[in-house]
Amino acid sequence: MAYLEARGLGRDFPGVTALNDVDIDVESGRAHVLVGENGAGKSTFVKLVTGTDRPSRGQIRIDGKDAAEHPDLFRYIAYVPQELSLFPHMSVAENLLMPFHASGHRGLVRRRTLEAKTQSYLDRFGIAAKPSDLVRNISVPDQQLLQIARASTNTDMRVLILDEPTSALTPVEVERVFRVVRDFHERGIGVVFISHKMDEVFDIGDDYTVLRNGKKVDAGQLADVDEDRLIRAMSGQKLELGTMFRPKVPRGKPLLTVTGLSGRKFDDVSFTLDRGEILGFAGLVGSGRSEIMQTIFGFLKARGGRVSLDGADWPLGDTTKSVAGGMLYLSEERKHHGIFPHLSLRENIGLSITDLTNSPLGISAARERAAVDDIIKDYEIRTASREKKISFLSGGNQQKAIIGRAMAMTPKILIFDEPTKGIDVRTKAQIYKIMQGLAEQGIGIILVSSEMDELRKCASRIITMHSGRITGDFDSATADSEQLVGAIFATETEHV
Amino acid sequence: MSDLQKTAPGQGREASVMRALLQHPILGVLSVLVVIFVASALLSPYFLTPYNLSVVARGLAFVALVTIGQASLMILGELDLSLGTIGGLSGILTGMLMVNAGINPWLAIVIAISFGAVLGFINGILTTKLRLHSLVLTIGTAGIYGGAILVLTRGVAITGIPREIQFLGRGTLLGVPMPFIIMLVMLVLAAFLTIKTPFGRYMYAIGNNRDAARMLGIPVDRIRVLVFVMAGALSAMAGVLLVARLGTAQPSIGDAWVLGPIAAAVIGGVATTGGVGMIAGAIFGAGIIAIIENIIVLFGVSPYWQGIVSGAIVVIAISFDAISRQWLRKES
Repeated sequence: MAYLEARGLGRDFPGVTALNDVDIDVESGRAHVLVGENGAGKSTFVKLVTGTDRPSRGQIRIDGKDAAEHPDLFRYIAYVPQELSLFPHMSVAENLLMPFHASGHRGLVRRRTLEAKTQSYLDRFGIAAKPSDLVRNISVPDQQLLQIARASTNTDMRVLILDEPTSALTPVEVERVFRVVRDFHERGIGVVFISHKMDEVFDIGDDYTVLRNGKKVDAGQLADVDEDRLIRAMSGQKLELGTMFRPKVPRGKPLLTVTGLSGRKFDDVSFTLDRGEILGFAGLVGSGRSEIMQTIFGFLKARGGRVSLDGADWPLGDTTKSVAGGMLYLSEERKHHGIFPHLSLRENIGLSITDLTNSPLGISAARERAAVDDIIKDYEIRTASREKKISFLSGGNQQKAIIGRAMAMTPKILIFDEPTKGIDVRTKAQIYKIMQGLAEQGIGIILVSSEMDELRKCASRIITMHSGRITGDFDSATADSEQLVGAIFATETEHV
Repeated sequence: MSDLQKTAPGQGREASVMRALLQHPILGVLSVLVVIFVASALLSPYFLTPYNLSVVARGLAFVALVTIGQASLMILGELDLSLGTIGGLSGILTGMLMVNAGINPWLAIVIAISFGAVLGFINGILTTKLRLHSLVLTIGTAGIYGGAILVLTRGVAITGIPREIQFLGRGTLLGVPMPFIIMLVMLVLAAFLTIKTPFGRYMYAIGNNRDAARMLGIPVDRIRVLVFVMAGALSAMAGVLLVARLGTAQPSIGDAWVLGPIAAAVIGGVATTGGVGMIAGAIFGAGIIAIIENIIVLFGVSPYWQGIVSGAIVVIAISFDAISRQWLRKES
């Protein structure tokens, strides 16, 4: 018998059914992969089975008992969210063992006791940090692993739900997570694994369930199916995965020239971006790519070096001037740098089209509605209404809104920083197509990505970085994969 | 979309009217204001007399002017605790210029309001350039501005404000007190600014997410400083009008304008965390406080009780807001 069972589970929100008649069995000691596009109902499902939200219909059974009647059963279900939810100014040990009662810690909180307990977890999860380190000072992958470790300190845990645990990780670190998951299996713990990365799904998963528009559309054992079938089930249509999105028109004249730029986390960076080009930046998380882009954009301060656009000096350090000059940066941190959470979808988009909607009598509501509706349609943003708060939209739809908003500002240069992080396969293809179309219109595009596959598909040229320095410049069509990976890791092996 | 099923409305009409009221940024607080107004009229025969209404309107006008400024700052995610002393100091300045220096009273008013704008500018520039939290910074500047009042006046009121400007505080137009009319004009301007102009939209954006606003190229710091300037000028205007009303420049002017406007704004749906609420809502909130304070007086309740009652209103109003939001979430 499955440890965690959902029977006919459903959840309605005003105007939409987020989840409908879903049956899922999570067996002890197996990995159950949950896949689906953004907005398919995965998050709703997680909320219901962790007890943070109540179902409108159906039943959740934990260890054979109805969880609605025994809500304390939810303590057996541990959940690691996709977003980091650690306490940055507290130590690794405090983060790991909180809440103290759940990790079996009684009485006064003594630093030495906490730190002694912590070390074994750090070893097991391969976290390269000291128990006394502040969390904000350890690397992002270590933070991600610490979050999983924290869930495992819950001595009651029987099922662990991992929501895209690898989106900020490189292959080496993904392997660390997988080792931990396999270790959980041996201890009889069932794992629910949510991911958009197909290779990982097949690597770690035993069973699978595909959700689409709130319904279960396919389920079974992964050994019996292939990638194509899952993707077809998720999207409801056949997608050409091998499609290339490199711009098909030849590159134009140089647009942006960066010379000897230095700043926080990077040194002496020089490169040129041509018109109509998609220039990819590959590297490990923390290799300084985002910092370079944010410095060029004026969000971070430069320490030295020059940037010029069309031969004229480009002002650094002022995002207002950058945007006015036609440069836009779309951050990977949607929540922190992208959306205005309390404002509606209309207001979020409306912010960047005030040139279009403003009049001597103020912003025209009718013109704004029309322009926003166009963007919702053009970018296929799925929402019950344009007046819905943007924070209620799924991640992929938020991302499409942000891209649509940026396009309305008719930029000359667009910098995409991990534009498809946490985004489903079909929306990914949509975003690639948008990038390709823009480049073919003569816009210069920089694509920062940690997915080599994405860079190979979209970029005309790939620059590799390591520890804040450029280590290579490759033609995407002819580059050798091993060379690329080598350039990303190269200097590291030299240092060791 | 075709696979998504529409759920049946299910609830009755009352529930949906209730939801619309609760979800609307200002209709909820407006209906509370109307209910309290009607209840006051029913409870006390004196409430609806023209004299009493003009007392309420006049009293409300001063604190409401400060509330417009404070609510604008709160939309940005800022809080200025020195607005009261800016109003007081500007009032003292206008009195000294008119009485002690003998300057043309109209010029004195212009100088005093500009002075308030400068004090607001100081708050804004220090907050943005030094990346301070405005709440903390303005605890300090409130002390400085308030201290300056005492240094300048030695605690003694300046009397002999010229008659020609006193109508600004005491006069009426078509039976409506002048300060109230001036406040309404400012409210309309502020509402237009915040709702209909790009500047106003940017204010909400900054209050929602300052980094995202910078990423969109919004001139974040410039807008923040300008709103501090605006709030300073509005507070100074309140101070000047109160001097005209009293005929003297009292060192105590502005004492009640520190927490009152924040409470009014919160009751009116403006969050202290920024990015939500409307200026008009804040003024309705100020209206609710003013009417309840008036009804306490009409009932002959000891003025010593006023603090407890108005404090309790704030607590009740905020609890109501929190409970209604939970109710909405459960309904959905």
